[in-house]
Amino acid sequence: MDSATYLNPYSTKTFFPFFLELLARLWAFFTGNLSFNQLASDEIQILVLSGVAASSAIVGTFLVLRKMTMLANSLSHTILLGIVLAYLATKSSSLVQDGHQGTLNIQAMLLASLGMGFVTTFLTESLTKYARLQEDASTGLVFTSLFALGIVLVTILTRNAHVGTEAVMGNVDALQLEDCKLVYIVFAINFVCLLLFFKELQLTTFDPNLARSLGFSTVFFSYLIMAQVAITSVSAFRAVGVLMVLAFITGPPLTARLLTHNLKKMIGIAIAIGCGASVTGVALSRHLLTAYGIALTTGGLTVCVITAFYLSAIFLSRNSRHKINYNNCN
Amino acid sequence: MDFFDFFTDPVLRGPTLGCMLMCLAAALSGVIIFLRKQSLLGESLSHAAYPGVILGAVFGGSFGLQDDNDLRISIAAMVGAFLSALAGLYCIRFLEKKLRVKSDSALCLILSTFFGIGLTLASHVQFSHSGIYRQIQAYLFGQAATMTDVHIQIYSILAIVIILTLCFFYKELQTMTFDPQYAKSLGIPVNRIESLILFLVVLAIVIGIRSVGVVLMSAMLIIPAISARQFSHHLPSLFILAAIIGVCSGFLGNFLSILGSSTMEQAYPGLRLSLPTGPSIVLVASSICLFALLFAPERGVLTRLIRIALFRYHCLCENMLKTIWRIDANGDVSLQEIAKYQGASHWYLKWILNMLSKRGWLIKRDSSTYQLTHEGRLWAAKIVRLHRLWEVYLANYLGVGAERVHRNAEEMEHIITPELEQELTLLLNNPQLDPHHQPIPPKEAL
Repeated sequence: MDSATYLNPYSTKTFFPFFLELLARLWAFFTGNLSFNQLASDEIQILVLSGVAASSAIVGTFLVLRKMTMLANSLSHTILLGIVLAYLATKSSSLVQDGHQGTLNIQAMLLASLGMGFVTTFLTESLTKYARLQEDASTGLVFTSLFALGIVLVTILTRNAHVGTEAVMGNVDALQLEDCKLVYIVFAINFVCLLLFFKELQLTTFDPNLARSLGFSTVFFSYLIMAQVAITSVSAFRAVGVLMVLAFITGPPLTARLLTHNLKKMIGIAIAIGCGASVTGVALSRHLLTAYGIALTTGGLTVCVITAFYLSAIFLSRNSRHKINYNNCN
Repeated sequence: MDFFDFFTDPVLRGPTLGCMLMCLAAALSGVIIFLRKQSLLGESLSHAAYPGVILGAVFGGSFGLQDDNDLRISIAAMVGAFLSALAGLYCIRFLEKKLRVKSDSALCLILSTFFGIGLTLASHVQFSHSGIYRQIQAYLFGQAATMTDVHIQIYSILAIVIILTLCFFYKELQTMTFDPQYAKSLGIPVNRIESLILFLVVLAIVIGIRSVGVVLMSAMLIIPAISARQFSHHLPSLFILAAIIGVCSGFLGNFLSILGSSTMEQAYPGLRLSLPTGPSIVLVASSICLFALLFAPERGVLTRLIRIALFRYHCLCENMLKTIWRIDANGDVSLQEIAKYQGASHWYLKWILNMLSKRGWLIKRDSSTYQLTHEGRLWAAKIVRLHRLWEVYLANYLGVGAERVHRNAEEMEHIITPELEQELTLLLNNPQLDPHHQPIPPKEAL
């Protein structure tokens, strides 16, 4: 990455010029005047955040409809422990090989997240089943304990108190082109799963009993969704941390839910809203820096934009509902 | 460090007492939301308090720069946390009631958006008020170390408010938690009490976020309640146990954090490392909880498994005695003959037979033949008597067909107590034959 060595083209842009510059650079990119590793840091942020938003929108739509969003909450917390363990497991080899130990390779991250996802679900379910705890309590118990363990291990192992904070907050500004790879691999997996299993997912979400009687395994599809949540949270981990990814998972689908009743449209709108919010978030962050000299975290701003979208969707849908009522009265 | 140093030393007593008070308040109000199955509400509300902490701290810090600035910041942060947690609560209610968003999505959305807003604010504060930023960071994972006596006074007052409210409204809370319909019919102002409960939870969160941090606060609400629930199903003892468990984990967690920080300080001097209090307290609490889940006398998973295994072993021993008694009560019986009647593997049978001879019920003749002792004979006859008595009872009193009574009696023979046997003998008029016309061993012979 040599973006630091040359001037960031967005460095003095306000909100609208930012988009103009983005369009110009997109044009340059497609006409072949701009190569892939010349991307500015803002563009990398847009790429990563949009990828995360798109993955989260796909997974989040089903989570919201299945009333399982708290699963995302617990998984995104526990993958911290998974990452720490993967770091421990691969540390010795990566130290010998190339000396840079900060980044884990993609397979290790994915495996760690999947493993942790299974462990979390397994623990939560067995607590509910064998220890006869109510479900909300076992969820709360498992993820907080594993997260606390993760935080303590991270603090002790990395000898850096800042890592724990970063796990919670994410750090969009430190993203590199490398991080795009994981994000888009995860997005590809999610998208392929969506294409392959759309009907099954739809069926098991809306009518699990019918699905079971038709011979589809509802257990398989809830585990599939669990796995998708796990890899989605791990892909979001570096960018937005374990908590703000929840806004990406719940916000856009809920917004889309207000605007449509069709599942396909809902997923499409959710992806569009997520990506739109990501671009707007990055632009807004640049604008605030340029115009007022305020440096705000881009991830947090994106979450604020998602919230703003949701609020405006509430007003939109309320107005249209009033209109319908008004028409009915006449 | 002596144990009492934690309560008397002016530097140590602040954090120690602070953590204990915080865990006490959280455990008490946690019991209610645990029983009301709202465990995840605490998670959302504690995260929703974060933007308030920042705004409050900045607000408090913007007045002058005297010596008591630190205290003013933390008080302002508490007020801010309180208000913003209430705002979060209101938003959750609004989403659920007005927009008919499902409860889990509403909780999740509010959690993440409030936290996102908080982080955005924090990133601004980082540059504009870097001194305050460092203090705010402590609210993420909790930093008890900087608490002083004044904090303790505030926390004690708040904790006492929680305890008094609980005592005062105990009856209403009890009725509301277990039977909301009944509570309504009694004329209890259900809505107002519900708001009161949520108010208590928010108050506990406000006390707690300084020492455990917003991220892990929800754990301290529910973990003591879960652990206490394993030992008791009686509401007052639930409250007391949860309070004790909470206070213990507060103390030990703080101790662990101090210990960890000083060890790391010695190992890597100059890195300014510290083990945050929040995760340590939560880890201690969840270890206690794990222990409770596994070993609690009645509900514990392992204790239940052990009980089941012991009962199986007991049944198998009795069945073995019975088998030998049936084959030949006075003579030698070989292992092959026993194995015909028992499904278990040879090695297991041999082990059980060895255990029985150790208890004096069998005598081992040679490598694979056994004979009942006098005690063994008595015991076996007693089991057969119980079995056949129960068969008679089933056939005569419950009208079960004679061909179907055996299976049930096969289980009941291990369960019937001497008192029950006496009652059965009286009720059935001391029968001599069972429904299959087999003699019932008489009581006098035993």
